[in-house]
Amino acid sequence: MDKLYSLSAKSMKELLEKREVSSVEITKSVIERIEKTDKDVCAYNSYNFENALKNAEAVDAKRAKGETLGALAGIPLAVKDNIHVKGLKTTCSSKMLENFVAPFNATVTDKLNASDAIIVGKTTMDEFAMGSSGESSKLAVAKNPWDTSRIPGGSSSGSAVTVAASQVPFAMGTDTGGSIRMPAAYTGVLGLKPTYGTVSRYGIIPLASSFDQAGPMARNVDDLAMLFGAVCGRDTKDAVTKNYTFDGYGDSVKGMKIGVPKEYYGEGVQPAVKERVFEAIETLKAQGAEIIDISLPSTEYALAAYYIICCAEAASNLGRYDGLRYGFRGSNTSNVEDLYLTTRSEGFGDEVKRRIMLGTCVLSSGYSDAYYKRAKLLQQNLAAEFTEAFKSCDVIITPSIALTAWKFGEKAGNPAEVYAADICTITLNIAGLPGMSVPCGFDSSNNMPVGFQIIGKKFRESDILTVAKCYENAVGGFAVKEF
Amino acid sequence: MKIDIRHIAKLSKLSIPEDQIERFEEEMQAILSMVEHLPEIEGSAVVVDTTNTMELRADEVIPSASREDMLMNAPQVAAGCIVMPKVVE
Amino acid sequence: MNNKYEIVVGLEVHAELSTKTKIFCGCKNEFGAEVNTNVCPVCMGLPGTLPVLNEKVVEYGIRMGHALNCTINRATKHDRKNYFYADLPKAYQTTQDDVPLCANGYLDILVGDETRRIGITRLHIEEDTAKLIHADEFGGTLIDFNRCGVPLIEIVSEPDMRSAEEAKVYLETLRTILLYLGISDAKMQEGSIRADVNVSVRPVGAKEYGVRVETKNVSSFSGVYNAIVYEANRQIEVLENGGELFQETRRWDDAAGKNVLMRSKEDAQDYRYFPEPDLLGYVIPEETVEQLKAELPELPVQKTLRYMNECGLSRADAETIALSKDKAFFFDACMATGKCGPKLLSNWVLGEVTRVANERRCEISELPLTVENLVDMIALIENKTISNAAAKTVFEIIVDKDEKPADIVKAKGLAQISDSSALQTIVDSVIAANEKAINDYKGGRTNVLGFLVGQCMKQSKGQGNPAMFKDMMIAAIENS
Repeated sequence: MDKLYSLSAKSMKELLEKREVSSVEITKSVIERIEKTDKDVCAYNSYNFENALKNAEAVDAKRAKGETLGALAGIPLAVKDNIHVKGLKTTCSSKMLENFVAPFNATVTDKLNASDAIIVGKTTMDEFAMGSSGESSKLAVAKNPWDTSRIPGGSSSGSAVTVAASQVPFAMGTDTGGSIRMPAAYTGVLGLKPTYGTVSRYGIIPLASSFDQAGPMARNVDDLAMLFGAVCGRDTKDAVTKNYTFDGYGDSVKGMKIGVPKEYYGEGVQPAVKERVFEAIETLKAQGAEIIDISLPSTEYALAAYYIICCAEAASNLGRYDGLRYGFRGSNTSNVEDLYLTTRSEGFGDEVKRRIMLGTCVLSSGYSDAYYKRAKLLQQNLAAEFTEAFKSCDVIITPSIALTAWKFGEKAGNPAEVYAADICTITLNIAGLPGMSVPCGFDSSNNMPVGFQIIGKKFRESDILTVAKCYENAVGGFAVKEF
Repeated sequence: MKIDIRHIAKLSKLSIPEDQIERFEEEMQAILSMVEHLPEIEGSAVVVDTTNTMELRADEVIPSASREDMLMNAPQVAAGCIVMPKVVE
Repeated sequence: MNNKYEIVVGLEVHAELSTKTKIFCGCKNEFGAEVNTNVCPVCMGLPGTLPVLNEKVVEYGIRMGHALNCTINRATKHDRKNYFYADLPKAYQTTQDDVPLCANGYLDILVGDETRRIGITRLHIEEDTAKLIHADEFGGTLIDFNRCGVPLIEIVSEPDMRSAEEAKVYLETLRTILLYLGISDAKMQEGSIRADVNVSVRPVGAKEYGVRVETKNVSSFSGVYNAIVYEANRQIEVLENGGELFQETRRWDDAAGKNVLMRSKEDAQDYRYFPEPDLLGYVIPEETVEQLKAELPELPVQKTLRYMNECGLSRADAETIALSKDKAFFFDACMATGKCGPKLLSNWVLGEVTRVANERRCEISELPLTVENLVDMIALIENKTISNAAAKTVFEIIVDKDEKPADIVKAKGLAQISDSSALQTIVDSVIAANEKAINDYKGGRTNVLGFLVGQCMKQSKGQGNPAMFKDMMIAAIENS
């Protein structure tokens, strides 16, 4: 059977269960596909082909013996390079961790292994997940499969790209301010940032601990849900996780109320993006949803609050990279103080340094009240506004990102403008809410994908998936880039 | 608010070359200026959110990891320990 | 010490808690293990790891908070204290900033004849750091992570102490309480209690505090005493020479008996505290707090006062017993039988019982000696069945064997003879054999009486009642 690699995970699962193909066959097909296409899209920092084939063989053997198999048995996937897979490198696309070998598994990895999934490699990302374009990677710099001269979005750039380029059916990303949803939108795939506390953060190198959440990326709703179901749930190693059971989803929006907040459709949003998102809303309306105008007035302050809290936590999380115990060691090792300075100055890229200094600044003595404490109050207010808004609607729809994929280097030297593009996604991380980017056509000026975002109530991923499934059916599925 | 890049860099254990200080300063200033436009909001954030709390762990031993695994990324190991440059107090 | 000045002292005491596991991971909390064996990704601070709080640490913290008469913050949280140091693998310490577990308490201590009340500002829980081993033979410093993540409580006092002696007593009292509560090994030589000492001086009668200087790294009782005396003298000397004092941090060098400047105010650390995002807040149930309070044992200072006021012990004896959990618990158990009085008991507990325990380098509770046997033996002394001398023989047996003192007395014939006709026979024979001594006595040298009674005791093989011998001897000589 050719093009096994291009099948959906659901189809793979069916074929595997009917024993029409083996996991080894699928895995080989995926490996060949990656070997053939990855030089063009550069989705991976490292491959895990040898282990993948061994694991595929093991799953096939288990199946042959009639043993009970996990939900993702024999299906290949990729994980972002900030998620530990024991024995493989976890680089965070940084010189700092270029040679760091994970000595333990992330809980997500344990769950994937328990589901008998086949991990084929580690996908590239913005350095330490700081960025929304993928450009800050110090290792592989992923390209957008729809136009390889354009950015794929970030920070989960490689995970988005490997899915968009049909190298694997789905992949795991992480999202701190839109790092799953933005690259999903830019590359025309689906990406879910679950409710904070749904997926364990243990073994995932953090950016901002109170915002980080891992989630699935896929080309269709069923595959996305399948992967989500396999990784979610309470983990005793992550104190913020909650008892959570994912209880499936429907395909009808009849009677559902969809909130549309005007603040998310402002001047900064490109007209082409607005048009496509409004069309998507119309489609859902035609399927029986009720559309309600809502307001989330604190949104305009969210960006500032986000960057303060995010950078404060990031600066603290990144303090441990000092060259003493692991990772890159700087050029001057004559004493500890010089080692700190040279390690950190040589090992981190500019974007990382900028955020470390920003985070250090907002927490430093005399600044903390003006910045950090004010940001925490804004966070609280914003969360309260969402709670209020959700009294009148079931889900909220916004653009996933104000722009479509730009050309590499186009926005260099203007970090504030790039940060501003994150406004649609960051509010969910601030409020801890789940959100998903769903493709909704193309920007006719550059033929790049547009995505809309479905925001749900806390722990109501099922509502989001129901809306997405209804939309997917209504539009007859999503476009896949022939590549 | 004016940022003292040299002071912040020192706190962050980063050395920023003199010729890049201005660029970092401008870029960070642009981001911090967003913050300066924050409204004067009333009240203060909740200190301990009693509606969202965590479970504590029982005091039970979990077998430790192997020393070999724990030291596998260390740049230098001797006598079962990571070696680092001499700490002068 | 220059008596124009008053010394003001506050202490920050860190004590390692004796939980089974570390504060944020399930690694063993033990002293002296092979290097880097009680370690895991969490306590080594590897990237991607997360803390999970040990409930026992919270419980121990609350117990200590109750012992120090603190308010317990039932809704609490943790914070990060950010700084770079080689022994801190995450570059931050997970501690508590604005909502400590316990606050606003006090501790009464006995200094001289006075009870002094020392205010407790706060008590919070946090993690210990790794241990650095300076090893020139390896061309650098080695890091052992076994201690990293061991739970600590930090107890911060108000600047309420006025002498080095008070600070020493305060620290000793804290240590005894930790032992009483069974929440810390409290071994200063193993570093399980460490103190940072804040000292300032001011002219006697002044209302304002002087400039405060912190001395870090003090790890013995004598060190605390010496560090305070040294620093106070240093400050007084600066002031007397017209100099200026600065708020700074100094490091105590116990071997050299002096401190050295560590950080001036300009280099003061900016710890950039913020809430630990890897943990959520938690609420300790009211019942738990109340139950822990109800379980609080009687503490050393209260015991000392009770021993003095209710048992009539001397201050020295009362304190010696009370400051040792081992002695105090044994003493109290003996008292609880109601079979003997406190004075003779305290003599025995502080005397023979302690001597044997010391010889064997063990706790009293570890001796085979039972409470029942000791009190029975003391009762036999008190009701004059046996003499002190005979009691020693009994004690040598019961300290190792669970035998009834009364049986031993019977078997060995140790009971005192109080039958006057039997005693009279002995007295008469001693008088007959010691004519010279009798004449001496009659001639006014009454101190030979001791010799004569001793001869009676010898003849009775120690079993005669010496008081009766004495009376009978006097009567016999005077009537002759």
